[in-house]
Amino acid sequence: MDFGFTPRQEALKQEVRQFIAENVSPEVLAEAAKGWEEGRGPRTRELLKKIADRGWVGISWPKEYGGQGGSRIDQYLVEEEFARVGIGVGGAGSGAPAILAAGTEEQKQYFLPRIIRGEIVFGLGFTEPQAGADLASLQCRAVRDGDEYVVNGQKMFTSSAHFATHLYLMARTDPEAPKHKGISIFLIPMDTPGITVRPLWTIQSNPTAPLGTTYGQARTNEVFLEDVHVPASCILGEENMGWYVGAMGLNLDRVGASRYLLSVSRDEDIINWVKENDFQGFTPAQDPAVRDRLAELWIEAQVCRLMTLRSMSLVEHGGKFTYEGSAEKVFSPEHGVRTTETITQVLGPYAQLMNGSPEAIEDGIFAHNVLGAFQSGINHGSVQVMRDQVARRGLGMPRS
Amino acid sequence: MDVLLNEEEQMLKNLAREFLEKECPPEMARAMEADDLGYPPALWKKLADLGWLGLALPEAYGGQGLPLAYLGLIFEELGRAIAPVPFHSTMMAALTIAKDGSEQQKKEVLPAVARGDMVLTWALLETDPRLLPETVHAQATPQGNGYVISGTKMFVDNFNAAQKFLVACRTAPVSGDKSPVTPLYERGGLSSPPLQRGVGGISAQGSEAGLSLFLVDTNLPGISHTPLGTMVKDKQSRVTFDRVAVPASSLVGRLHQGWPVIEGMLDRGTILLCAQMLGATRKDAEMGIDYAKNRVAFGRPIGAFQSIQHLCADMIVWVDGVQLLTYEALWRMDQGLPASIEISQAKAFANDKCEAVVRSSQVIHGGIGFMAEFNLNLWFRRVSSWTMRMGTSFEHRARIARALLDQPGRVRLGESMYDLAPSG
Ligand SMILES: Cc1cc2nc3c(=O)[nH]c(=O)nc-3n(C[C@H](O)[C@H](O)[C@H](O)COP(=O)(O)OP(=O)(O)OC[C@H]3O[C@@H](n4cnc5c(N)ncnc54)[C@H](O)[C@@H]3O)c2cc1C
Ligand SMILES: Cc1cc2nc3c(=O)[nH]c(=O)nc-3n(C[C@H](O)[C@H](O)[C@H](O)COP(=O)(O)OP(=O)(O)OC[C@H]3O[C@@H](n4cnc5c(N)ncnc54)[C@H](O)[C@@H]3O)c2cc1C
Repeated sequence: MDFGFTPRQEALKQEVRQFIAENVSPEVLAEAAKGWEEGRGPRTRELLKKIADRGWVGISWPKEYGGQGGSRIDQYLVEEEFARVGIGVGGAGSGAPAILAAGTEEQKQYFLPRIIRGEIVFGLGFTEPQAGADLASLQCRAVRDGDEYVVNGQKMFTSSAHFATHLYLMARTDPEAPKHKGISIFLIPMDTPGITVRPLWTIQSNPTAPLGTTYGQARTNEVFLEDVHVPASCILGEENMGWYVGAMGLNLDRVGASRYLLSVSRDEDIINWVKENDFQGFTPAQDPAVRDRLAELWIEAQVCRLMTLRSMSLVEHGGKFTYEGSAEKVFSPEHGVRTTETITQVLGPYAQLMNGSPEAIEDGIFAHNVLGAFQSGINHGSVQVMRDQVARRGLGMPRS
Repeated sequence: MDVLLNEEEQMLKNLAREFLEKECPPEMARAMEADDLGYPPALWKKLADLGWLGLALPEAYGGQGLPLAYLGLIFEELGRAIAPVPFHSTMMAALTIAKDGSEQQKKEVLPAVARGDMVLTWALLETDPRLLPETVHAQATPQGNGYVISGTKMFVDNFNAAQKFLVACRTAPVSGDKSPVTPLYERGGLSSPPLQRGVGGISAQGSEAGLSLFLVDTNLPGISHTPLGTMVKDKQSRVTFDRVAVPASSLVGRLHQGWPVIEGMLDRGTILLCAQMLGATRKDAEMGIDYAKNRVAFGRPIGAFQSIQHLCADMIVWVDGVQLLTYEALWRMDQGLPASIEISQAKAFANDKCEAVVRSSQVIHGGIGFMAEFNLNLWFRRVSSWTMRMGTSFEHRARIARALLDQPGRVRLGESMYDLAPSG
């Protein structure tokens, strides 16, 4: 067991912090806060390019595809520093892990360097109106026709679709096969004729959430695919193996700095806030009940951190997860909700004030968090489904 | 950074498990509940032969000088096997002597412990059950070439089996303005007023506590004990000192400066108990999960019902949490890093979650788990009672709250909380 980072890794953290202090200006952050609505603005793109030039994106990816051939832990450390200021770096949700694992040489050569440079952004086209947690029951169809596939169907909650360059699409290629065995993944340019994107506005859209809020997402989308013709070379991995390719990507996506910070950032925020503030005569930091509860939440936050480090350790050992990723995905989001709900009872009526309101605390982030924190227990595998996985895959319990 | 066990650690754990599965069946724990001594001397001797008793003691005194984390892994397996041996109390005292004892004390005690010839324990708590310096009232008064001890100690582990024990006594009044009556808001350890001093602002008090620690033979004239009847039927005693004369050489560490020594002893004892709770709780959870796979109700194994599956999933997630917190604290201690916060994190979480896990396992077992002759209760009762020892959740969270809230500077997960701002 080793719970420390090497001196080199400690230095890397400091280097990234220094970079952030010098390059992540309030203007960039203001622009990034609108990212879910408007996509990446020019300042954000410039920043991401600078970050890529430092070699900090895809650190663990092979050199021949623009990565650094470095360790996943280094990548985690860099991701954490940027995630803490609300800037997503490092390829979580990028589709890159799955492309690396299942892509053709051509796909790797094409996509990975462009993902690193920020030129390619995927929209994740998994969920459908009738297929959410039970994703394998999806109905969107892709039919082989010579050198092409023809895609028809509807996707739901496709978050980045309005600014993505490509759709990372799960579709059914064999309707006769058992449901997990007839699915394929396609990497499709968004400008392919037949794709229509319609906005869906979330309860965090008015006003837009401050950066770092959980979930903080103002907009997502419905995507309609009507007779979309794509070359057969768009398929990722083998035909009908898409479920396994997708699951692999999800597992790697589920773990990492941004997931972890979604669940624990408010712990730090509320503790630092009560240390520095009071309500003229009422000092929450001296209230015995508040103290006990904050300490309890802090311990849970440490468990979230350690479960993330465990996932990182497993990745370094070859990535053989049985249930550990799912365990983290149960404990951390539910912890985030407990913290958020505790904060409402520490701050009382102040916790309802949104950004823009007079007297709002910390720019309304706590109020916004109430609206969104529970979402991280639904996305990317709901806590119910994750518990099923822990029990069935981790503990070998029988299916009902 | 690699939080998984390395090969050597895993091997040690496997060997310990194999040995205990063979040599220490649960029937032994059951039998020892009815035994006056409370442990089988033959098994104790085998532990010595395996090198476990000297594992973390210095090589110069018959030990092997291995990291505390290794000892933690042994405790984990002892917990899993609910081994009825006075290992915890002996290690608490022995490690303290190794760290803070005089040369003479080390020579007298450590090789004997490593050989399996000496059982040790410790005595701190009195009427007030909190592990704080101000709860100690037993008095050691200088007399002739030594001291005379009077007072009463509670919850002394394995007193009947031990040859020597470490006894915390007051040698000077509490300095400063500590009133003897604890303010209401402090009761139950919920909270303490902000502290200006101490290590990183979290130590309750430093050397000014006026305590001293003594290494005392358990058979001295004037010492008497009354066994307590516990839910585990383990051997705990109320020990009374009636003008017990001890030589000056019994002092461990420096006069009046006993609290930091005691705090170190408590910290080690706490984290080793966490390791023991971890092992016992994981085993208990596994029994619940196995039972769920096999017990049929409504035409299928109850483990096929989602409500039972989710109970089991939580059990494992929580046990894993206890494990990670415990290992991190042990690792820090072996690095020589401050670890009192991590230790408190582990114990507070273990208190709450281990209890929840063993209770869930009882629930899964329906009526049969409630029956005395069914073995599950052996684990249930032990884990429950361990949640009550070495600091309650409230006490440990109060310590964490002090670190989080009573020193200036901003907190950040993953960064040290011991030096948010310079102490002083
Ligand atoms: C803001 C936002 C962004 C999103 N972004 C994307 C995206 O970019 N791409 C994408 O593909 N999807 C995205 N999603 C979709 C998200 O992954 C789904 O919402 C999620 O998979 C749940 O699906 P559902 O909403 O259809 O709920 P359902 O599947 O209908 O589930 C409803 C409830 O039933 C529970 N449930 C389901 N099955 C079981 C079971 N077997 N046992 C017990 N309980 C069960 C669920 O846990 C949940 O609580 C996004 C969603 C949101 C809200
Ligand atoms: C002290 C004591 C006194 C008793 N007195 C009497 C008495 O006087 N007369 C008498 O007839 N009985 C008596 N009982 C028996 C008692 O009613 C049973 O213990 C109880 O019905 C549970 O049955 P079981 O122990 O076989 O557990 P099981 O039925 O095996 O249940 C085991 C676990 O599985 C769970 N479970 C079962 N089915 C499902 C499901 N579909 N979904 C989710 N979870 C499920 C249960 O909730 C339980 O947690 C007594 C029991 C005790 C302990």
